[in-house]
Amino acid sequence: MTDPAIEATALGKRFGRRGAWALRDCSFRLPAGRVCAVVGPNGAGKSTLLALAAGLLAATEGSVAVLGTDPASARPRVGFVDQDKPLYPQLTVAETLRMGADLNPGRWDADTAGRVVAGGDLDPGKRIRSLSGGQRTRVALALALGKRPELLLLDEPMADLDPLARHELMGVLMGQAAGHGTTIVMSSHVVAELEDSCDHLLLIGGGRIRLAGEIDDLLAAHARVSAPAETDLAPHEVVESRTTGRQLSALVRPAGPLPGDWRTAAPSLEELVLSHLRNPEAPALAPTPAHDTTEAAA
Amino acid sequence: MSTTAPVRLPRTVLRLHRTALIVWGAFVAGLTGWLVWLNEVTVDAVRAAQARCSSTSWGCIDVIEFLDYSEPTGYVGALTCYSFLAVAAFTGGSLIGRELESGTARLAWTQGVTPARWLAAKLAVPALVLTAGGTALVLVFRWGWAANRDLMGDNWAFADVFVARGPATVAYALCALAVGALTALLLRRALPALAVSVAAMWLLNAVLERHRARLWPAETRTSPKPFELPYDVWRLEWGRTGTGHRATYHPASHFWPLHLVETGIVLAVAALATAAAFAVLRRRTA
Repeated sequence: MTDPAIEATALGKRFGRRGAWALRDCSFRLPAGRVCAVVGPNGAGKSTLLALAAGLLAATEGSVAVLGTDPASARPRVGFVDQDKPLYPQLTVAETLRMGADLNPGRWDADTAGRVVAGGDLDPGKRIRSLSGGQRTRVALALALGKRPELLLLDEPMADLDPLARHELMGVLMGQAAGHGTTIVMSSHVVAELEDSCDHLLLIGGGRIRLAGEIDDLLAAHARVSAPAETDLAPHEVVESRTTGRQLSALVRPAGPLPGDWRTAAPSLEELVLSHLRNPEAPALAPTPAHDTTEAAA
Repeated sequence: MSTTAPVRLPRTVLRLHRTALIVWGAFVAGLTGWLVWLNEVTVDAVRAAQARCSSTSWGCIDVIEFLDYSEPTGYVGALTCYSFLAVAAFTGGSLIGRELESGTARLAWTQGVTPARWLAAKLAVPALVLTAGGTALVLVFRWGWAANRDLMGDNWAFADVFVARGPATVAYALCALAVGALTALLLRRALPALAVSVAAMWLLNAVLERHRARLWPAETRTSPKPFELPYDVWRLEWGRTGTGHRATYHPASHFWPLHLVETGIVLAVAALATAAAFAVLRRRTA
């Protein structure tokens, strides 16, 4: 059996002794081999979660296991691309890749890294400080992919790429996931960006997990319903409801079969995410697949 | 594919701080060259002027020509002694501070290098370079400072000469490295870390300089009659008492005990700052 890629147990992180909690009481399990979207508004705790998984921050409470071990021991097997794509400005592209080879002995895949960089038509002798934002993203991704990670953590990876480069690099990432079984976790606040490529969702809002699970399971667990106003939606769990005139429209989690006189539709991923973000008091949902989808995947 | 291949972290550190390495190399070479020039070329001109001067009927001491030699030699000593301030600025600002501010440290920590190893390499490589360069500077200055004592007006107890003539120069540089790393890890901003580490090192040096004379018991001489002290002592107190004359001073032979005690104190501060830096790093990262 494969270890889950990430397993968080009551994970929490607070900056400073009296600071606000960036992440609190966060429990979820991400099976290996998934492409997982971490979605949430700005400041929701996405970056904190990724940095905790990458071993860049120490948890204040709870724990996170990565690839079956602690984040520090998993470090050689985890790739990480920071939101700001920090790189050493004084090095050239070629020197940056050589640094990757020097710091990842025994793991470095120069071909893959070289291919990612070559895709952007980058002069290897160019200094990092002279590159555009998108070109830097490409070099940062090359560094992360070159270490042959089993888990790739990407914080807003596509933010400063043009549509063409975004499409191409997404293809490279999906190829990596398909070819090597790499688990990819990427954060974004643009849901549409991730809808096509991801099969797992982690929705974070206000430092807490709001939704966690396979996207298909999550969508199946919700229904968009329209019913006459003043209809009692119980016993179904209501995420969001709105009354316009004599019409009530709501996003619910059906507790059983829905009455036939309600009009129902399957929500889109974006609707699901937005409804949860608009209604912070809606209960969280993290359907734990009864017994490990990991085994099935492995 | 072996997993036992060594991580070539030192090479990466050298590549990242190539410019600093070149500047330090140029600094050491420049001061060395300057001192050699002063003692091989300038000194001849000074002596020639002195000879011309004393051949006149009334005799003289050519002070202006003297200054051509003694002043630059003093500068070399001061630059050697206070080079640790530049080390503090570099460590707090560039070596560690900028990496934490721009996030490149996080890049290194996710490249299969643990934060502790990263910091160890970041400190060990510059420490080796500073020890080598500092030792060279001290040896050259000891030679240059002793070569033409009759042309110099200073004394071994002068603040900068005292430090530049022994291992305290290297100890201050290593301490600046450790203090710079600690402040950078605490502040995580390049410019504040630069300022604070320079200020901290300046303060440490100022405090030790102020209390330097107390680092080793001084000698006291009393006599009912007035007496002369040898010219090369560090005179601390001097005057008449009710019954006679009294002087408190460090003889020249106290240089090494005084110097080594100060070196020890500075190295202890360096060790504490290093330990604290690792503790801060360990607490912050997984």
